[in-house]
Amino acid sequence: MFRTIALTFLNEFRLLLRDRVGLFMLLLAPIVIIAVAGFSLGNIYGARVTANAYTIPLVDDDHGAAAKAIVAAVDRDSAVTVIQVSTLSAARAVLRGRDRTPLAIVIPAGTTAALAAGHAADIVLYVDPIKRLEISAIEFRLADLCARITAAAHAEARLRFAQASAELRTRLERISANLSSLQAGIADYQRQMATARSRAETAIKAQINRQMRATIEALRAQTQAAIDQSIAQTKASLVTELGARRTALAVVRDYLTALKASEHDFDRWFSALKVAAGSHASAIPPPPALPTPPDPSVIAELSKPINLAFAEPHLPDPSSAGVGAAPATSIKFPSPLTPPVLPTAQLHADLEALAPAVLPIIPGTLGWTERSATGGSANVNSFDQYVPGFGITFLLIGMLMGISLGLIDERDWGTLARLRVSGAPLSGTLIGKLLARFLVGLVQMVVLLAIGYWTFGVSLGRSPAMLLLPAAAISFAAAAFGLIIACVARTHDSVMPFGAVVAMAMSAIGGCWWPLDFEPSWMRAFAQFLPTTWTMLAFNNLMIRNLPPASALWPSCATVALGITFLTIGLFGASRLYE
Amino acid sequence: MYRQAAQLVDDSPSRWPAQSGNIVSVPNGSPLLEATGLRKSYGTRLVLDGVSLSVNGGEVVGLLGPNGAGKTTTLSLLATLLEPDSGEVRIAGAKPSPRHYALRRRLGFVPQSIALYPSLSGFQNLELFARLHGIPKLEARSECMRVLQEVGLAERADDPVAALSGGMKRRLNLACGMVHRPDLLLLDEPTVGVDPQSRDHILDTVRRAAAAGAAVVYSTHYMEEVERICSRALLIDSGKVVAAGTITELIALGGRQPLMEITFHHSAPLNWCDGLTGIEQISVPGNDGKVALQLESFALVNRILERAHLAGAQILEFSVHSPNLSDAFIALTGHALRDPIPDAH
Repeated sequence: MFRTIALTFLNEFRLLLRDRVGLFMLLLAPIVIIAVAGFSLGNIYGARVTANAYTIPLVDDDHGAAAKAIVAAVDRDSAVTVIQVSTLSAARAVLRGRDRTPLAIVIPAGTTAALAAGHAADIVLYVDPIKRLEISAIEFRLADLCARITAAAHAEARLRFAQASAELRTRLERISANLSSLQAGIADYQRQMATARSRAETAIKAQINRQMRATIEALRAQTQAAIDQSIAQTKASLVTELGARRTALAVVRDYLTALKASEHDFDRWFSALKVAAGSHASAIPPPPALPTPPDPSVIAELSKPINLAFAEPHLPDPSSAGVGAAPATSIKFPSPLTPPVLPTAQLHADLEALAPAVLPIIPGTLGWTERSATGGSANVNSFDQYVPGFGITFLLIGMLMGISLGLIDERDWGTLARLRVSGAPLSGTLIGKLLARFLVGLVQMVVLLAIGYWTFGVSLGRSPAMLLLPAAAISFAAAAFGLIIACVARTHDSVMPFGAVVAMAMSAIGGCWWPLDFEPSWMRAFAQFLPTTWTMLAFNNLMIRNLPPASALWPSCATVALGITFLTIGLFGASRLYE
Repeated sequence: MYRQAAQLVDDSPSRWPAQSGNIVSVPNGSPLLEATGLRKSYGTRLVLDGVSLSVNGGEVVGLLGPNGAGKTTTLSLLATLLEPDSGEVRIAGAKPSPRHYALRRRLGFVPQSIALYPSLSGFQNLELFARLHGIPKLEARSECMRVLQEVGLAERADDPVAALSGGMKRRLNLACGMVHRPDLLLLDEPTVGVDPQSRDHILDTVRRAAAAGAAVVYSTHYMEEVERICSRALLIDSGKVVAAGTITELIALGGRQPLMEITFHHSAPLNWCDGLTGIEQISVPGNDGKVALQLESFALVNRILERAHLAGAQILEFSVHSPNLSDAFIALTGHALRDPIPDAH
């Protein structure tokens, strides 16, 4: 068992070492693809790009400080070469005419003002939508640039703010100190005032008290005398009044006494009368008359109020008695305090300086917006790139291998020799084969585009029929190139890796997998000799850039021209090989 | 498609056996194919060194040689697939070139490999080659039908080639080289790997083609096939013509004589053949009783048998081997193994 394993293991290595194609596939093929991909995508991973700097047309409609900062910052980027142009149309011309020019920058008028006012401002990127990855690469840098510009502006604003803040703080501190000083002065003055007032009050109060007591004493004496005099006068008057009343009262008493006696007589009489009258009581005469009442004047005298005239005491005049008479003049007030000298002038100056102080405004954020420079959408459906791109790749693989393997099969089967002996011209046989493959390739591309349209929503451009032109051109060129491959790789084993590597390399370098501008300049120069480059340009113009149908004409012609060249070389090689 | 063609062919009888309308006119006395002094090298390796041959119409010339002798290269030169380094090929008096398409159409080439499209049917293969040889469509169909019947594949005409047996493929391979009634038919080992029935069928077909006037060059290393169908043969070894001539001449060139083997009961009597002239005993008699004798002529067989009888010997069995092309082949080319020279094309 172990012997079998060991022998098989060793034999596999022996077979592998003798399999040149296998070794090629193991090493050389991946190296080729790695090299192509590495050179092409180096920019993404931060490779040195000085020699491959992007060209960016820039239109400065702002002419402000912010615009100058943007231009300077973009210009400093080693990955970018800025071409300042005056108009958007000039920028578009640069965009169309130069390699590695994925976008144009327009700094709109008012950008500086907007930023200075603290508003957000956007620069406008007119992008070539096909160069999305490059756009992203530049936007990545641009984001950093905008962030740096914004950060620098913010930092400057913060610095100014800090300076103003410090100055303000100094002023406030000075004001605060002045106010504290003022407050202390006022407090001291208040204290002094309070002390003075207290003293004055005490002194005035004592003086008033003294004066009041003297005045009161004088007034009291005078008043007492006046009251005593009035009481005496009133008492005399009252005695007079009371004597008159007493006389009147004696008359009335007498009357009442007499009346009392008459009343008893009358009662007895009336009783005797009644008895005597018996049933004739009604016939009793009226009773005797009552004594005459006292004189009404006497009664009136009694009823009249006592005219007790109170003698108004002749009270002393306080003023004449010296009460309240200019007591203040006699009060000695403390001498007034001199107010402290307050630092109001400095305070006033500081406050005045504080009032008009304008705090710095934090500048707005700098950003960007995208617009398509070609009239299409700035945002590309990735399938617009990959459907034609990978369609071309597999067209190439199918074409290169199909034609090569077909010819090798025919050679190995002997049918090619039989075809030649049949009198058919070799060129006719080959062109017939290529024509069939051409039609297959064309149908393949059409079907892929149709599937792309229905399944992935790819754009077919303004004139879908025009897509047939690059599709036919690449089918022709690929078929012709397949003939060259058939002349170079002359065995099944060599066609498979060689054809696959060539197809993939042509696709990669020609921009089927990524934008051409990703590649270094030497690779882009080489790409001009590949039909994939021109075909992708045509497809991109029609599908992604949404350019007029005529835009595919020149690239397709270039593809056909390359195809004719390939066909000539291929026929020459085939005639050397097979004739 | 074949069915449609079958209807056509039913109304158009095969013309090749009946007439040789496609056969080119060759100047009186001139061979249809004439090659002189063909030399061909692949790099520094000389593959052919002065090969000359001529073939007349109606003649089948065998091209014999061990592996790597240069037979296929010779046929490729004759088929104008290769150009000789020196020497000349003339077909019907004309010198062919790669662009001499009209002359090429007179050739029928049957390569050693199965030169057919495996995924196409036999009829489609035939029709393609017929049309490429310039036969109009309707006529091509009838010709396809004719040749399919001729090689016994009419019933399998619509089957893909890949589905046919090895013998069928060989027959179809031959049919494709004959569908246009070529003036010159070049066959490169057309019977390799086929069963005896298919071989017989192929040989009969070739014979009929020659009978119809075609000049046939038949490359093989099956000697009996050459003996059966070829009037002349060239024996090539290491790129040179070792021998050429009729089959009888070639056998004679081999220098071999009839060989007689006798098995006696017990052992051969002593001195039993003394006095007989024209006999050479080529093996020492042993206890097994076997004796091998080389005879000058077949006429000695009876005399040997009589002498053995007279000597009282009891013969259990005897055999007489007549010298043939294989003997001549071995005699002329030797017994050493031949490694084929890598073919450059």
